[in-house]
Amino acid sequence: MAKVQAPSLTRRWLANDRQREAVAGYLFILPTLIGYLVFVIGPIIAAVGISFTQYDMLSPAKFVGFDNYINLFKDPRVWTVYGNTVFFTVLAVSLNVGIGLILAVMINRKMPDFLKYIFRTTYFFPVLVALVYSSIIWQFLYQKDTGVFNYYLSLLNIEAIPWLSGRQWVLPSIIIMDVWKNTGFAMLVFLAGLQNIPQVYYEAAQIDGANRWHLFRYVTLPLITPTLFFNMIIFMIGALQVFDSIMVLTGGGPGDASRSIVMYITEKAFQSFEMGYASAVAITLFIVIMLMTLLQFRVGQSWVHYE
Amino acid sequence: MATTSQVRVSQRSERKLITLDRSLDVLAIVVLSIGAVLMAMPFAWMFSTSLRPFGESYKLPPAWLPTEWHWENYAAVFQSNVPFLTFAYNSVKVTLITTIGQLLTCSMAGFAFARLRFPGREVLFVLLLAAMMVPGQVTIIPVFIIMRTLGLLDSHWALILPGLTSVFGVFLLRQFFLTMPQDLIDAAKMDGASVWATFFKIALPLASPVLSALAILTFNGTWNNYFGPYIFLNSWEKMTLPLGVTALRGFMASGSPSIVMACVTMTILPVLLVFLFAQRWFIEGVTQTGLKG
Repeated sequence: MAKVQAPSLTRRWLANDRQREAVAGYLFILPTLIGYLVFVIGPIIAAVGISFTQYDMLSPAKFVGFDNYINLFKDPRVWTVYGNTVFFTVLAVSLNVGIGLILAVMINRKMPDFLKYIFRTTYFFPVLVALVYSSIIWQFLYQKDTGVFNYYLSLLNIEAIPWLSGRQWVLPSIIIMDVWKNTGFAMLVFLAGLQNIPQVYYEAAQIDGANRWHLFRYVTLPLITPTLFFNMIIFMIGALQVFDSIMVLTGGGPGDASRSIVMYITEKAFQSFEMGYASAVAITLFIVIMLMTLLQFRVGQSWVHYE
Repeated sequence: MATTSQVRVSQRSERKLITLDRSLDVLAIVVLSIGAVLMAMPFAWMFSTSLRPFGESYKLPPAWLPTEWHWENYAAVFQSNVPFLTFAYNSVKVTLITTIGQLLTCSMAGFAFARLRFPGREVLFVLLLAAMMVPGQVTIIPVFIIMRTLGLLDSHWALILPGLTSVFGVFLLRQFFLTMPQDLIDAAKMDGASVWATFFKIALPLASPVLSALAILTFNGTWNNYFGPYIFLNSWEKMTLPLGVTALRGFMASGSPSIVMACVTMTILPVLLVFLFAQRWFIEGVTQTGLKG
């Protein structure tokens, strides 16, 4: 078609097929590229810059060197919120991933299809419900005097537990809800991983005289290590940024007993308008996430089994 | 010699193993059933409470299934001065624009990274992937300053603009387009189709399963987003459902959790319906992300 028309100036200019393809390529990635320059790359660089200043958005930023970072190490609240976040992350990741694996292994056993469907649906559904709605529901269940949990405990003659108001209880309570909410995701990913293991491996192992435990230990487990690894990374990155559930359940209280690092960043940035200091804390979180992920990858090399 | 007795022994142990296997199957079903009931209980409590008459919301022992049907709690949500419908409209608007935008930009970029040759392609792609590691909370302060400069604070654009593209989506579609047969593209080229036509008429229709998965994940993520609205919005008439419902829960409650639960039930219901009808795509979306890891 193009050959019949008289070649216009631009046409001739782009006559070369390769050039035309390259231009199309750049145009196709342009929206994504702009989005990433403006909302990711730019802000990362800016965040680093702001972290070396004192800035309240009203008066111009003042350069303060490493002051924010030095103050951060001396700020006892930073240590508290980091402690809370790490405690939450370690427990939430192990429980979500561990229970998800057990659920997947059980659902993967022989059972009627409709049961599989019902189990998969029931365990996965909370994943889709916004954390804030689950938290609103659980907040009522966790009430000390009127809550459902304490009612059942009272039937067992157990004293009412201050789920959301006791310093020792508050983080475990948030973790319990988090596992209820998210373990279905790990389960679904594990199910896909389990179904991807070729049946012949089991048959071959059985011919060699492997028993059930051997099958699980030497076939299933090594072959789902990539899935296990994926789940651990995803859950870890998510847990280090925990925010919604704690905001709704406790608002960080009592005191700072359940405040997470992201809650502290938003408090400093958008309530006390210490943008420089908040950015410095955010940068440390970024570094922690990067280091933990790299560490996982490094350690993963020794136990993750890729075919 | 001993073969017959050996066979007998192995048969016996085989039978024992099969019985053990059967009983483990049953045990798994029993454990999973108990777990499933526990999983469903918070939702059962939510629904039955939403139908309780005023003053009985805190009734103990809790009734897990509704005994009476006081639908007036639902009507009360609309009659109260809580702009529930406005929240719902805002949520639908932000979610739809974000999802459509993301499908378009991600499929275009995914196609280009998989199928079009241009200098710098690999480097740009790796840089994009690195960006996937950066959590939104780290960039929120500069993004807030950008929105403030553009005068977009307390507007839906502050939520929509950063969500119009996603590295995850680009990655997902690139992986899909890489598996598309080259013949199809060559044939289109021979017919004189432009790159744009090849993309729209040949590549996109083929990608519809992946697009559905991405659409559902994006829809769900945006619909449930709390952090963004919490940072950017502050007037009632701009709020989306998660922020509005949370902000107003004390106000709405006015002594009756039943009304709050009616409200939460109504916000969860669309998710449940979409899930039941489109479960396949949900699961595909999640497993695709899982297997690529």
